[in-house]
Amino acid sequence: MTEPFLNSKHRVLRRTVRAFCEQELGPIAAEIDREARFPWEVVEKMGRLGYFGIQAPTELGGAGLDTVSYAIVIEEVSRVSASMGLCLSVHNSVALYPILMFGSVEQQRQWAPPLAKGEKIGAFCLTEPNAGSDPGSITATALPDGDHFVVNAGKVLVTNGGVADICLIFARTDPQAGRKGISVVVAERGVPEFVVGDLEDLCGMRANPVSSIRLVDCRVPKGNLLGTQGQGLAIGLAALDTGRIGIAAQALGIAQASLEEGVRYARQRRQFGVPLSKHQAIQMMIADMATQVDAARMMVYRAAFVKDSGEPFSLAAAQAKLFASEAACAVTDLAVQIHGGYGYSKAYAVERYYRDARVTRIYEGTSEIHRMVIAGEVLG
Amino acid sequence: MAFHAIVCIKSVIRAAPDGVGLRTPDNSELNPFDRPVLEAALRVKEAEGGTLTALSMGPDVSKDALAEALAMGADRAVLISDPALAGSDTLVTARVLAAAVARAGAFDLLLFGIRSSDSDTGQVGPQTAALLSIPFVGGVKRLHKTDTAWEIHRKMDEWEELWHVTTPAALTIHPGAYPPRPIALRGVAEAFDSGEIETWGAADLGLEADHVGQAGSPTRVTGMEMIQRERKCLMLEGEPQSQVDALIDHLGRLGAVES
Repeated sequence: MTEPFLNSKHRVLRRTVRAFCEQELGPIAAEIDREARFPWEVVEKMGRLGYFGIQAPTELGGAGLDTVSYAIVIEEVSRVSASMGLCLSVHNSVALYPILMFGSVEQQRQWAPPLAKGEKIGAFCLTEPNAGSDPGSITATALPDGDHFVVNAGKVLVTNGGVADICLIFARTDPQAGRKGISVVVAERGVPEFVVGDLEDLCGMRANPVSSIRLVDCRVPKGNLLGTQGQGLAIGLAALDTGRIGIAAQALGIAQASLEEGVRYARQRRQFGVPLSKHQAIQMMIADMATQVDAARMMVYRAAFVKDSGEPFSLAAAQAKLFASEAACAVTDLAVQIHGGYGYSKAYAVERYYRDARVTRIYEGTSEIHRMVIAGEVLG
Repeated sequence: MAFHAIVCIKSVIRAAPDGVGLRTPDNSELNPFDRPVLEAALRVKEAEGGTLTALSMGPDVSKDALAEALAMGADRAVLISDPALAGSDTLVTARVLAAAVARAGAFDLLLFGIRSSDSDTGQVGPQTAALLSIPFVGGVKRLHKTDTAWEIHRKMDEWEELWHVTTPAALTIHPGAYPPRPIALRGVAEAFDSGEIETWGAADLGLEADHVGQAGSPTRVTGMEMIQRERKCLMLEGEPQSQVDALIDHLGRLGAVES
């Protein structure tokens, strides 16, 4: 069936990315989850192939593709390994993208090429122990001192934290100015004042080195301020708008993989003398899964298409992220149900999909925050 | 003369549930047996310099396969497409490709996949070579140029043959010989943004309508039937050791293992 929003370039892209992921990530996806291992050997290949700079301009070392292509890459990588889809989504959309959107020409020349080629990995450090859905309540500070900011920040649940070289730190440059005193400074790993904490022991996305990051009296040059002082939350929201398309595509990839595994198992497993697929109860589940995946796909690619058209896309992106993440949880749940007891075992991939799907309703804005965003857009 | 390889590729049908496959974009892909051929040609090009032309005969949907060849590193892509070519058998396909190869300019190597994953004949490569009256070696595992000749290795049962071939020559590449490189995202972008796919019709190749397509084809597939395999289940009973003995005995009598 021809998909709307996709042209022949997108079709060829999907095929080539799928071939790469099945060949390189497929054989290790279960193992890197089990061992909570970041697969550098594949990450380096992805870097050479442009996966870390999907939308970055070619003159800055990127692949120069559009948002629909970005969603395709994230969906296809996540279909095989959601942990790696997460790594790419966060790196591309909330680390590299804000640098391209808000960075000066000089900053872009400094940071974009190594990020776009995957030579350095990016992270987005907003969340703190007491500031998640409410980013205006962060307590990190970056206080001006001569040519530097002195940064003190305790950031938690940082995706890519264990491997990130270039981190966007949200901190108060003017502690008296409330939400308007929050700015983004770029901190680079490699100094003693930049401390990477232990990796989180998470339910899913285990191959992604999610960690805390602490900066203690860390001196960051004033030239590392992204945008202007006080622009932090605006940068964060702009990054999260596009990041939502990535996470929606990630959820879609997990749901797609679960549908495929559910169908495969239903055809193969026999009970009461016939394959599961001959039982109407299972057919109902497959029908619901296929419909949810299809609806999520339409919403994800519509949001990407709207963004590529240059129109406001916040509503479409929020709806796509809300729907696709909820669909991923519903579809992975049904895939486990079809597998019965085996679906609860690590021997079967659906167990991993089930764990991986859950967080898509939480990060890059919870489902509840998304409903607030959507209601705000609809009600004005 | 700079090295020039022409690789003939095919857009194949992915699935044909009732024996008939729809030629839609989503049901078509570059023949998997052609990918190692492109890889072989790219490696020779990297060693020798020169250019690589990808050539395909088929409906418009074949442009996706040619774009993939461009994304991998082909320099030029040509689609031979004409309603008059519909229904061509392997001989006519070879005739059309031979005419297209003649138009594509002087070349050193003309390369094919060993077969296609849909119609699966393996005839087009050797037939095209015969029509062009050039040497042909099939199932090539390795090739490289020495000062005096092209050395071509091919496996035959437990032996590996070494051929010296003069060019221009036609080869089919063994599917396991050259694992194809992954395609970079930028390669896909460039294939579509700056790559060009030339389209030639039957008239451009000087072919008359009654010599091509179904009208010009001496062979025709007139029917297809799914092969039904009868499956039997034999339950073995007793202790595990006696079950194993019975199984080996049974397989031995079937000739599946040495008894």
